[in-house]
Amino acid sequence: MLKRLSNAALAACFVLPSFAMASDLDGMTPQQLLPLAQKEGSVTVFSLSSRIAKIEKAFEDAYPGIDLIGLDMSSTKQIARLEAEQQAGVHAVDVLYIADTPVVFTKLLEGKRIVNYVPPRVANELEDRYKGPLLTQRLSTKVLMYNEKAFPDGSPVTNLWQLTQPEWQGRVLMVDPSQRGELLDLLTEIALHPDEMAAAYRAHFGKEIEVDADLQGAGEQFIRNLFANDLILLPNSDVLNKSIGDVNAKNPPVGFGTYSDRRDNEKEGWALQIANNVEPANGILFPAVLTVADKAPHPAAARLLVDFMFGDDTPSGGPGFEPFNVPGDYATRKTIADHPDSVKLGELKAWTIDPAKTAAARGRIADLIITLQ
Amino acid sequence: MNALATGAADAINIRSLVKRFGAFTAVKDVNLSVPAGSFLVLVGPSGCGKSTLLRMLAGLEGPSEGEIAFVGQTVSSGAGGVIADAGRRNAGLVFQSYALWPHMTVAGNIAWPLKVAKWPREKREKRVREVLSLLGIDALAERYPAEISGGQQQRVAIARTIAPEPSILLFDEPLSNLDAKLRIEMRSELMRIHRATGATSVYVTHDQVEAMTMATHVAVLNNGRVEQFGKPIDLLRNPQTTFVATFLGTPPANLIGVRRLGDGLVFGETTLAPAALAAGHDAVQLLYRAEDVCVGSVAGAPSLVARFAEAAPIAGRTMVTAMIGELRVTAMADGYFTATPGEPIPLSFIRTPDAVFAATGERIHQ
Amino acid sequence: MTSISISAPSGSRLLRSGFLLPAILVAIVAVLVVAPLLRILVTTLTPDGIAAWKAVLVSPLSANLWWRPLLNTMILGFSVGGGCLLIGGFLAWLVVMTDVPGRRFLGLMATLPYMIPSFAAALAWGTLFRNSRLGGSAGFFETGGLGIPDWLAWGLIPTAIVLIAHYYSLAYTIIAAALSSVGADLVEAGQMAGAKRPRIFFGIILPVVTPALIAAASLTFAGAVANFAAPALLGLPVRMQTLSTRLFGMIETGQNERGFVLALLLIAVSALFLWLSDRIVSGRKAFVTVTGKGGRTKRFPLGAWRWPLFVVAAVIGLLTTVLPVLVLAASSLAPQSGALFSNWTLHFWIGEGGGEIAQGQAGIFRNPVLIEALWNTIRLGLVVAFTTMLLGLALAYTIVQRRGSLLATVLSQLAFLPLLVPSIAFAAAYIALFGAPIGPLPSLYGTFALLVIAASAHNLPFAVQSGRSVLGQISADIEESARLTGAGLIRRLFAIIFPLAIRGLFAGAILVFVKMVRDLSLVVLLFTATSPVLSMVAYRYAAEGFMQFANAITLVILVVCLAASLLAHSLQNRVQKWKSP
Repeated sequence: MLKRLSNAALAACFVLPSFAMASDLDGMTPQQLLPLAQKEGSVTVFSLSSRIAKIEKAFEDAYPGIDLIGLDMSSTKQIARLEAEQQAGVHAVDVLYIADTPVVFTKLLEGKRIVNYVPPRVANELEDRYKGPLLTQRLSTKVLMYNEKAFPDGSPVTNLWQLTQPEWQGRVLMVDPSQRGELLDLLTEIALHPDEMAAAYRAHFGKEIEVDADLQGAGEQFIRNLFANDLILLPNSDVLNKSIGDVNAKNPPVGFGTYSDRRDNEKEGWALQIANNVEPANGILFPAVLTVADKAPHPAAARLLVDFMFGDDTPSGGPGFEPFNVPGDYATRKTIADHPDSVKLGELKAWTIDPAKTAAARGRIADLIITLQ
Repeated sequence: MNALATGAADAINIRSLVKRFGAFTAVKDVNLSVPAGSFLVLVGPSGCGKSTLLRMLAGLEGPSEGEIAFVGQTVSSGAGGVIADAGRRNAGLVFQSYALWPHMTVAGNIAWPLKVAKWPREKREKRVREVLSLLGIDALAERYPAEISGGQQQRVAIARTIAPEPSILLFDEPLSNLDAKLRIEMRSELMRIHRATGATSVYVTHDQVEAMTMATHVAVLNNGRVEQFGKPIDLLRNPQTTFVATFLGTPPANLIGVRRLGDGLVFGETTLAPAALAAGHDAVQLLYRAEDVCVGSVAGAPSLVARFAEAAPIAGRTMVTAMIGELRVTAMADGYFTATPGEPIPLSFIRTPDAVFAATGERIHQ
Repeated sequence: MTSISISAPSGSRLLRSGFLLPAILVAIVAVLVVAPLLRILVTTLTPDGIAAWKAVLVSPLSANLWWRPLLNTMILGFSVGGGCLLIGGFLAWLVVMTDVPGRRFLGLMATLPYMIPSFAAALAWGTLFRNSRLGGSAGFFETGGLGIPDWLAWGLIPTAIVLIAHYYSLAYTIIAAALSSVGADLVEAGQMAGAKRPRIFFGIILPVVTPALIAAASLTFAGAVANFAAPALLGLPVRMQTLSTRLFGMIETGQNERGFVLALLLIAVSALFLWLSDRIVSGRKAFVTVTGKGGRTKRFPLGAWRWPLFVVAAVIGLLTTVLPVLVLAASSLAPQSGALFSNWTLHFWIGEGGGEIAQGQAGIFRNPVLIEALWNTIRLGLVVAFTTMLLGLALAYTIVQRRGSLLATVLSQLAFLPLLVPSIAFAAAYIALFGAPIGPLPSLYGTFALLVIAASAHNLPFAVQSGRSVLGQISADIEESARLTGAGLIRRLFAIIFPLAIRGLFAGAILVFVKMVRDLSLVVLLFTATSPVLSMVAYRYAAEGFMQFANAITLVILVVCLAASLLAHSLQNRVQKWKSP
């Protein structure tokens, strides 16, 4: 396996003509790509999810003769590795399945280390915002979660500003946004909606918000007030879920977590539920994207894989998408049905982040958070 | 405190001392005593128990049986173990390895035991200067042990030991790591220090020359037992066992195994001595000093033919070693003598044997 | 004929002249350590990097980004270094220098905590001391009605305690090796001087093993400063940030330049302290034990204290070894991670797939990847331990031989730095440096060799430190006497130094092995094969939310480390026949 990969790396350095074809490849159907991909023989993918192992099997079954090499690693490591490899002139990876899109946008896309590819087969079934600047395969969440056992009448929080009040002092949890990109993205998104935050403030307190002189807008004021109200930071979502969701808890806190973690409720003894009716929004939807590396050594196979991972025409998405079809996550492809047990994507009161906008505003919020600790 | 058992309190009195390590008995029923100011040398081959005996004297090991008394005070006993521990016996030990503390300077090494003994600073510094100059190492005071030579380390070790003015000085083969010339030098140095301090010294060595030159009293140890104890000259003159007879003396004395034949004691075909010397024994060993064996034929003296091995000039005469079969014999020749190795030379036994020993090793007294 | 007989000795003369080895070492260290560091430094000199320097040092952010984390880090570093010396030193003294009962047992227990990942100790702490601050189920004490204040449940104090519990075994290993080479004569000479036991301990034993103490303190200090898991788990809930959590956060949120600036500053600050500690053990005070005989160690009788002290040591061992292992074991058996001690099942170990539990995944021993991963892990650990120790010994030798010289100072400083470079930055630098072909050398990208090289460099500090403390105890004349026989450097290393130093070397090799077996960041960036190592399998499970599988694999890793340690122990006894066990 090792040898094969380094051979691939070497091959990449010499088989220059194949790059010329890359733009032509973008327009090909899977059937047209297949013989080219089979000639390439293999495709390497970095994946944020270990479920790539299931895709590997399904892909190799569907397209015999193409060996899928899947390496699961976090988005941060994917970025570090791709940058380092390309700086060294090594082009060994074909496809990135990656989140952390604001960083991907600035470091990889703007740095021309990746190219956006939209499979023609599914192009018509995707909203435009999911086709660029990066191709979104599915959406994950960081939203307000509560304990449905302790609060059987529904979410105790209906307006984000409640979280800044004494009632919730020391009872709002969040994985440290200075440690985890998604949470930083969440706070950035709140800051990017100052008008809606101001309106929600008015609705809750019945007066206009006064924003501190050094802050820009109601969203940043919310962040400051939230931290001042003893927001508790955690190292990882495991601790968070346990703390919020414990079925035996008397007066559990609330926190910003992942909707799809709810699927582990029974297994772990949790009672996690999404607080959906929250003004102005309960959190964010953020994309997991599929993108092709610049000068990918197996350009046809790479495109075939991206195409494959958008699933087939069935409501479940078939073997190419099923491993990622969990309640609480949302496919961007319209033909794939939302999970029956979860809030429909259209009804979810979460903001969907725009990688480019988030990337631009993120630094300021990161700095703000640091000063608040 | 059965300390006053002996009237005239010897500086060191060892009674029926036994030390066992598990099933192995290192020291077997040792009895010794020496008066104050003596220089007792414990001599014997490796593993004879002499170091264990010294460590018991130092208080580093407790005896299994018997007791040790310093100036009438019992310091260790089989029943009580180490009664007065190492620090409280007013004894100092010079280690074979020197055991200098590597993290202290020379002066620091010497001063530390005084600090432990709570000497006031001024007195301490004065004493350090004193012993430094006594050992002639004033210049090394601020050096670390790793920065000085082996001979210098030796001096530091001695200086450190005598600084607290112990009444008993213990030496564990202190010269064994030095070269031959330095060893002779340090030997007289140690004698000088012994005299200067007036302490009673116990000195462990496997080198019989050291024992003979330094000791007022010698105990020859073998297999954990004292083979013989006495003044060096007595041991030399009147060895009680073949072990002592051959271990002591330079050049080494000869032991010749003979058997009774008629009224003579015979080696091979040659009668060496009258059978009367070995009344009641069929086979004995005769002790001849090297000076009693002469190279060449002497009228009236029994003579054997040996094969020449080597010769070494000593004080105007020549010490000749020759082989009779497998037996190594040392003889003296007048003037300078030499021969080709293997060449047959006659050896004459010009005096009667110095001593006669039974085949089992003990002396036969007439 | 003549020309051959002339040329042969001239080659060995070159080797003997003592310039070749240092020159090679300087070159190796330059490539392995300096080059990646320079690369990181260069990254921070871009416009973005300059902005990061400003943000970190002179901006409204710098208090929370740099100064407070620095303060926390230093408090943590010093208290952990001090605590480890106390506990590790106490245990080492007890095991090596006294007649405490069960010495082997205590000694084995004292080496274990380092093999247990620090997060397990942190989890164990949480199991006992967790309070209601986070909601969820409370810890053992609070469930029992005992209120646990925040300062005992979260923040600096528990973090320091957990890190001490994790790192003291590192101190123990180093100090025990040094103590066992303190000759009995040195102690007896003190006894002859009339010194009482405490006086001998503080006046002689302690100063003689000072180099080892400094080494132990340095390593545990650096370990604590670089540790991420414990301060993250126990510190974040009260917003305690250390430089390592800051650094991790910066890189994790895409602010690499700031992360690198923090790393460089961390390196600078730590290097200052390491330099100071180096001053203490170098120069004239860098003594070698002056001894011809030695080898025998003095064991003090403890008398009435034998059993009480045994109990104290055993309790320390139980709390820091058995408890975390129990927590790990329980969490690999409990279907619900919130209820560690109920509904135990062996499913996560040997269960067949397809059931209700674990979304139908089979137990780890039914996972074909595991066996392959186990083998990969052991192979990687062994190779890296070997190369690292070889390099470490050569470096330590040069440093000890030339102590006090500029070369030695520079080498010893450089050899320490990798400990403080975040793995991810280190690995990225390596890919960038060795990914492309250099001259006639082919690209090392994706090769096992690159992984080994990077890992050797990354683990170098452990090897050099253990090598140094061991070599510091071998008297120069032993080595010099070998030199007089005309034996060349390599010959001397293998015939004299190696057998004498084997105990310390094995100790160091085990540390490297353990670190390698556990270290994920470095491996995940450099390993290109799909057949993973154990830590990657554990990560895979953890990422899926199956902590039980991950913990089961952590236990497997622990068993591997333990087996390695026992093997090394018996090997060492076989090599050092002259030392009674």
